Amino acid sequence: MIEVKNVTKTYGKKNNTFVALDDVSFTIPDGASVAILGKSGSGKSTLMHAISGLDKPEKGEIIIDGKNILALNQKAIDKFRSKTISFIFQSFFVQANESCYDNVSLPLEISGTAASRRRKRIEDALSAVELLDKKKSRARDLSGGQKQRLAVARAIVSNPRILFADEPTGNLDSATGKVVEDLLFGYNKNNDVTLIIVTHDPDLAKRCDVQIHIKDGKIESIEGNK
Amino acid sequence: MKLRDITIRAGRSLKHAKARTLLTSLAIGVGAFTIVLSLAVGAGGRQYASNIISSNTNEHALYNVSVKQDGADSSKPKKYTDAQIANYGGYEMVLLKQSDIDKMAKVDGVNSVMPYFTIVPKYVTREGQEKYQASIEPFQSDVKLEYAAGNANGIEGDSVIIPDEYREALGFKNASDAIGQKIQIYIEKGASDPLNPELKAFEYTVVGVNKKPTVAVNGGTTLQLTSDNMKVMNNYNVQGTPAYGTYMSALVMAKDNVSTKTVQTNLDKAGYTSKTAEDLMGFIFQFINVLQAILIGFGALAVLTSVFGIINTQYISVLERTQQIGLMKALGMRRRDVGRLFKFEAAWVGFLGGSIGSISAVISGTIANPIISKSLNLGSVNLIVFEPSSIAIVIVGLVVISVVSGILPARKAAKLNPIEALRTE
Repeated sequence: MIEVKNVTKTYGKKNNTFVALDDVSFTIPDGASVAILGKSGSGKSTLMHAISGLDKPEKGEIIIDGKNILALNQKAIDKFRSKTISFIFQSFFVQANESCYDNVSLPLEISGTAASRRRKRIEDALSAVELLDKKKSRARDLSGGQKQRLAVARAIVSNPRILFADEPTGNLDSATGKVVEDLLFGYNKNNDVTLIIVTHDPDLAKRCDVQIHIKDGKIESIEGNK
Repeated sequence: MKLRDITIRAGRSLKHAKARTLLTSLAIGVGAFTIVLSLAVGAGGRQYASNIISSNTNEHALYNVSVKQDGADSSKPKKYTDAQIANYGGYEMVLLKQSDIDKMAKVDGVNSVMPYFTIVPKYVTREGQEKYQASIEPFQSDVKLEYAAGNANGIEGDSVIIPDEYREALGFKNASDAIGQKIQIYIEKGASDPLNPELKAFEYTVVGVNKKPTVAVNGGTTLQLTSDNMKVMNNYNVQGTPAYGTYMSALVMAKDNVSTKTVQTNLDKAGYTSKTAEDLMGFIFQFINVLQAILIGFGALAVLTSVFGIINTQYISVLERTQQIGLMKALGMRRRDVGRLFKFEAAWVGFLGGSIGSISAVISGTIANPIISKSLNLGSVNLIVFEPSSIAIVIVGLVVISVVSGILPARKAAKLNPIEALRTE
């Protein structure tokens, strides 16, 4: 369960402050799919960064599995990021000049998984996104949709508990976008993994269990499909 | 993250930027090349020098043993002593007497004492041949000579070893013809009329003909006799002159198990100064060391320049890979590991540069060796000698230097804020 309690984040100093998150509170149950909706500059990305431990809001608590991640030291946060969560980005961030295999291998290397145990997991992740035949191809030779599928493989290889997706279909056409969406929701349902999607696409948001609308750093509304 | 994985990733990033990696490595390679080559020249030079020393000197010998003189003020009148003093162009030297020789022989660690004879023969000849000027010296069994003919590893009695040039001049067709033949050395009688000197022929049997040596200084142009024969000729030459019974200096041989340094100290206590073979040839080493230091200095300059090259390239690399760094940090890579990744890349560059430089140094040295030896007439002597250990030290040293120069860029990478880094499009 993810509990966000009274989180406030401001940028800038003194007279020039900008409130990105203003006293935000909500709860996400385990295994849910959540869409964080809002216009650009609304604070939705900041919220995702806060929950994933990339950013440190000055006020509030973010409690994941009973631990306030805002109170963790850097080493513990790094460990949390490498073991518990994963990311998918709008612009993929796959390493163009590395093979698909090495791209997917990165999170396992970071978490210190023994080399002997990596192969099976990497190949499983690549099969899950139907890219096993591209194992040795360089990422730059893939199409946009394939790149995002590769990013999904990289995100799921470490068996995360929470999957963050920042505009995962923003750079894709609707057909390939649909494939990636199906992959994400399939993984969410089959593995009971919490999926948090940051988007401004209402159609994508509708597929999620919960929609959190953010405006000017405040929660406008929280809607649930169930 | 495991060190092995970091090393592999670092190597792979370099492989993806081949041109840049190669150019940065080449900069270090120039330094490595210069340093490895100068170390090899130094090693070769020292080897060559110690070859010269062992060819011309005896490791047990102490040379120029003479009476220790106090540094008395030469501008003031000195008290008379009954010491024999030789005067050479204002430089006074107390000569050795037989009593000194006997005293030296009793010094701890001394095996034998051989006075040094400054005798110059009038000429050398043999029946039916021209007369030739010549110089003579006592035979030293430990000085390595190459023989064209004869076995003269220990000469005794009235024997002589002649250089190949004298063999030819004295009319022997080839070296083996000379063996067993007799030659005469003419010595001037001491205190005889300078205008019409009385000469005496000393006849010796040729037991060896030595080739012109490649490294030996003496033996090339001098005739060698036993010390006893030298003494006989010397006494004939100086009889009735003030020089009779005195010697300029002596050659002291240390006992086999006693170092020359110890004997030198003992002789010093007894009142005699002396020089070991190293003292005598030390200037050669000093010369080589200075030359080597200058060369290494150039190499170090090249390395220093390449250090800035590494820092610059690594900074650019960090900028170029901002996104990648951001991603790795977002995925939970520790700061320390991000820093290490860049330091290891620098290490690879250093290793590559060191290897490229060392390999090209070895190749060019191997090519140059025969050319140098030929042009300097050194025979089979190599002036450039590569020692694997010094090459290894150079490479390891360069890897360390590269890592140190990679510290600043690595720190920049480690400090990158992942949110900022991932925002960069």
